[in-house]
Amino acid sequence: MRFATQVTVHVPRQSVWDFLWDVPRLTACVPGCEAVEEIEPNIRYQAVVRDKVGPFSLRVPLAVEVLEATAPVRLRARAQGRDATVQSLVKVELTLVLVETSAQTTTLQIDTDVTVLGKLGTLGHSVMVRRGEAIVAQFASALQAALGQEVP
Amino acid sequence: MTDDRAHHGTVTGQVLSIRVTVNGHVHDVLIEPYLTLIELIRDRLGLTGTKKSCDMQVCGACTVLLNGRPVSACTMLAFEARNAALLTIEGMAQGETLHPIQEAFIEHGGLQCGFCTPGMILAAKALLEETPAPTEEEVKHYMRGNLCRCTGYKRIIESIMVAARRLAQTHNPGALEA
Amino acid sequence: MLQPFVLEEPTSIHEAVALRARYGATAGLYAGGTELLLTMKEGLLRYERLVNIKLIPELAGLALEDGALHIGAITTHRRLERSPVVRTYFSTMAEMAAHVANVRVREVGTLGGNLCFAEPHADPGTLLLVYDASVALAQQGGTRMLALEQFFVGPFEVALADDEILTAIRVPALPAHTAAAYLKYGLLERPSVGVAVAVTARPDQVQEVRIAVGCVGPTPRRLRDVESLLSQKDLPEVRATLDAAGALAGSAADAVTDLHGSAEYKSYLVGVLLRRAFERAYQQAIGGDTGDAARGSGTA
Repeated sequence: MRFATQVTVHVPRQSVWDFLWDVPRLTACVPGCEAVEEIEPNIRYQAVVRDKVGPFSLRVPLAVEVLEATAPVRLRARAQGRDATVQSLVKVELTLVLVETSAQTTTLQIDTDVTVLGKLGTLGHSVMVRRGEAIVAQFASALQAALGQEVP
Repeated sequence: MTDDRAHHGTVTGQVLSIRVTVNGHVHDVLIEPYLTLIELIRDRLGLTGTKKSCDMQVCGACTVLLNGRPVSACTMLAFEARNAALLTIEGMAQGETLHPIQEAFIEHGGLQCGFCTPGMILAAKALLEETPAPTEEEVKHYMRGNLCRCTGYKRIIESIMVAARRLAQTHNPGALEA
Repeated sequence: MLQPFVLEEPTSIHEAVALRARYGATAGLYAGGTELLLTMKEGLLRYERLVNIKLIPELAGLALEDGALHIGAITTHRRLERSPVVRTYFSTMAEMAAHVANVRVREVGTLGGNLCFAEPHADPGTLLLVYDASVALAQQGGTRMLALEQFFVGPFEVALADDEILTAIRVPALPAHTAAAYLKYGLLERPSVGVAVAVTARPDQVQEVRIAVGCVGPTPRRLRDVESLLSQKDLPEVRATLDAAGALAGSAADAVTDLHGSAEYKSYLVGVLLRRAFERAYQQAIGGDTGDAARGSGTA
């Protein structure tokens, strides 16, 4: 399932790039993300992500790996984990591209590809598409709020 | 008056004592509340004619009749059969004499591999009890939840229509065939 | 085998709500189990206890009273399908019930359970919305009525508190000169698109149209913007507006692309089903034999 969006912030690109490496502040923008642990600086992290839809809860411990960090333009990461109860494998591929629209403004393009395997992936597909869109939208808003004002 | 393996010391400590009449035989069993009907039928009672196929109540291979009503044994809890009459495919024939529905299926090619057949026959029985002279449309509608991968359904529908006429004749031997 | 749970079997609403008050969301309400047990078997849901509500007599009634159908929560789809009262006075409901899932699910699955589980890909909620149905929710302090439209909150989410149980569904008879129609489409086990309409009309004059779309959005929903496009108009004008109404309904349906199809395809189907459902309901409404006007009372 692919979800993409973008936000524009009144912040220079380098500052946006630096923010992305401020792990506590960045993960605070990710809905449902708790307990981020650095395993290898700038490369490997461990995080737990939770979500709930009606009576269904998901708790996925994610192993996060940074695949590419081309400062201050492009960041690619992969996260993977399995919910213990539901036994569904969750894989996330994330690409963040920073476009310098002016000296003081940056457009951040967010592109994610989420795969959920197992029963949840098939039975819950419709719901997850909707939740995925909502979560990415929330992530984008949170980033925007954390980084500063929106360009009118 | 049979009993079967009792399961004591279940995880929650809760055990239900139920009586269920299966194909005319009374069984007193001790079961967990979370035992499914198909587990009771196949694993505890050894009646393996009822098939577990999709395991999500879609295909109908696990169809059994509970007080005459067709249910998916895979997605029903076993205790729901308490004090009830359960009919599985093993109960259709009387000794060596096949039920007219079974005969019709054989004569008219209503089965090939036979895996869906127990469910088909039981569903057909419930249908004909409710609607003794169904139209083809009524048969298709009722049987819609029983899936077959072999026959293409035409022969199954024919078998049921033939069975309907035969059952009507048995109940009313003087009547002309429709 | 399912994950172990403790079975509770209350025999009164009083007992049932006490259990809910005590155990809250750790106790799953269990009626037919066609949705619940399936999800538990898949390992997607787990409950420490299941509260079997099928032994509560007050939940089993089906009666026509004061021009409304009172459906006990544990009434099966099959019972609705075959009830003489429902077939006579709420014929569209009987027809909808007759096409829910398959006969085995209909024999066991209940209307109350279906509404509470709120699986988006379902039939009853969509049609009940154009009947302006409401639900009765009981807890220890008493019972409240809630419009069905407010009961659906999101996918698999309803406005049922952890200490409440749904006891009945109330379905008012449609007004005079009104007929309903429900059309659905799908190739998977569950429907992909469902459209319900209720049309109040005299020959060539359309007074009111109620429209609901289900399966497509996160919940079934009434499309009031589309309704006002088609109400209080003469028939030629309504027919000329149906395409635009269909397009509006399609976008208002809030479709997403998933295994049931692309968002564009579903939106398109909403428009198609709306046009067809309107014509069917209109013809029935002016035909006089609506089948849905109820006077008097009776037990079904």
